Amino acid sequence: MLQQYAGIGVFFLVAAIFPIIAIGAAWLVRPKKPSRVKLDTYECGLETQGPTWVQFKVGYFLYALVFLIFDIETVFLYPWAVQFQVLPLFAFVEMFIFIGILAVGLWYAWKEGALEWK
Amino acid sequence: MNQLQMDFNLLTVEILMATLGLVVLVLGLLIPKNQSRGIAYFTTIGLVAILLYSVTMQWTKAEFLNGMYLIDPFSTLFKQIFLLTAILVSVGSYQFMEKYGHNQAEYYSLMVFATLGMMVMASAGDLITLYIGLELMTISLCVLTCFRLRDAKSSEAGIKYIILGAMSSAIMLYGLSLVYGMTRTTVIAEIAAAIALDGVSPLLLLGLVFLVAGFAFKISAVPFHIWAPDIYEGAPTPVTAFLAVASKAAGFAAMMRVLLIALPDLFVHWNVMIVGLTVLTVVLANLVAIPQTNIKRLLAFSGVGQAGYLLLGIVAFTQLGVGAVLFHTLFYVFANVAAFMVVIAFYNETGSDEIRDYTGLAVRSPLLAAVLLFSMLSMAGIPPLAGFVSKFYLFTAVIDQGYVWLALISVLMSMVSVYYYLIVAKVMYIGKPADDAKPIKVSSGLQIALILCLVMIFAFGIYPAPFTDLAMNVANTFFTP
Repeated sequence: MLQQYAGIGVFFLVAAIFPIIAIGAAWLVRPKKPSRVKLDTYECGLETQGPTWVQFKVGYFLYALVFLIFDIETVFLYPWAVQFQVLPLFAFVEMFIFIGILAVGLWYAWKEGALEWK
Repeated sequence: MNQLQMDFNLLTVEILMATLGLVVLVLGLLIPKNQSRGIAYFTTIGLVAILLYSVTMQWTKAEFLNGMYLIDPFSTLFKQIFLLTAILVSVGSYQFMEKYGHNQAEYYSLMVFATLGMMVMASAGDLITLYIGLELMTISLCVLTCFRLRDAKSSEAGIKYIILGAMSSAIMLYGLSLVYGMTRTTVIAEIAAAIALDGVSPLLLLGLVFLVAGFAFKISAVPFHIWAPDIYEGAPTPVTAFLAVASKAAGFAAMMRVLLIALPDLFVHWNVMIVGLTVLTVVLANLVAIPQTNIKRLLAFSGVGQAGYLLLGIVAFTQLGVGAVLFHTLFYVFANVAAFMVVIAFYNETGSDEIRDYTGLAVRSPLLAAVLLFSMLSMAGIPPLAGFVSKFYLFTAVIDQGYVWLALISVLMSMVSVYYYLIVAKVMYIGKPADDAKPIKVSSGLQIALILCLVMIFAFGIYPAPFTDLAMNVANTFFTP
């Protein structure tokens, strides 16, 4: 049984060694001419403004979370919509219960001010 | 393919819980923040109603979704244990939340959802369902742990709980995925069949190690207990009570289902690990509890020790063992929540959790002192209180299986526990209260809950027959498919 895993073991070994060889070879043959511009922090081609170690506003994460909920809703809604014609009435009711629960969540987020940018 | 079995009547308790949680949340949105006192009472009444309803399903044994969700007496009894804890904790939260809390609706709603997560864990017949229940419980409890805004200790506890909870979940998930990989199924009954057919492989054992470690985190068994004292100390005290009792019971429910039903063929392997955990837990927790000066930390270590005694029932791997675990958990709800309610009432009045401030509590509030004394003596296992009977069953269960030395260690460490429980008793009864100490007022709701707990602690000890019959009958149905 262990032999079945030999392939995975070899794969792990190759995966570990390959990047070392590739990066090592590049390090050996590449020209080394550092300049100030080359060593700058990369920020989409623009010059960086101020220090980069800043705290992000918690509002970003709140937005991301609220967005994620509705992202996942789509994942469930899509197959339901595709199969809608053949599904029984029960599936219809069930989906509305699901959306109802999400709506309560959105109502809560709205009321608590998660959607306002302060 | 078989028709899916979907009799939604079986899920009434869970559906009611989810509805209650959502209704409480919506009520919080509709009612102005300064008038939200009624939400707390509404939650308690709702929980009591659901508990009463669950009695009608006491002996129902059925499967939902072809064995992925199990409704059996075992899970129903555990659900009742969670509901009882939630009821007592919600009663204990009234004053505390009014004084230190904000957004009461969220607090009670999260408590209901955490309870729902525990119910799913107890009923899960499928590893993924189990994991979803576990996460629902853990995430709700994470939020509850850091519910005291602008309190550094509470925030610290919350962050610790999130990080350690995520880590233990990851460990457990890895174990679950290995078990799935080796047996090609996540349904608990089918896992047992697959292992009986294919035999034991090294990878399955690796999965077992991860699983046991993950569960040990949830029940806070030594050496996976490091999170418990810090988080218990920092969390709001009602949440601590909930964490210490209900989440531990849920961990045991899931652990018993997985080890005893899904992996009975690995008994020789997991038995060694569980025996090791038991010895470490019982010895270390009781010794470390001695020098504690904070009552919440003391109760945390005593709770870790209780988890060690409960593990004895799993070591035994018999109906008596399962029955003893059920009985001990049931009694533990009353004893431990009672102790924590005393801590809450004391904190509400004085703002302190230090044991030395309990000096002369017997004069300041005889009821609080008596409840704390008897619940602690009961946890230590002094007759004629409940803890004596349940420990007696647990020890009998392991002695029947030939683990006399294990029972001996547990009895010895029980004696050690009497020492640190009595330190608190000495402070309360012999110490003179400070001159400026005022009597401590206890609200009538809390008084009723405290007296109920006290009555139950004595009832379980003096006339345990109805409760042991219940636990043993439930244990009888646990092993039959």
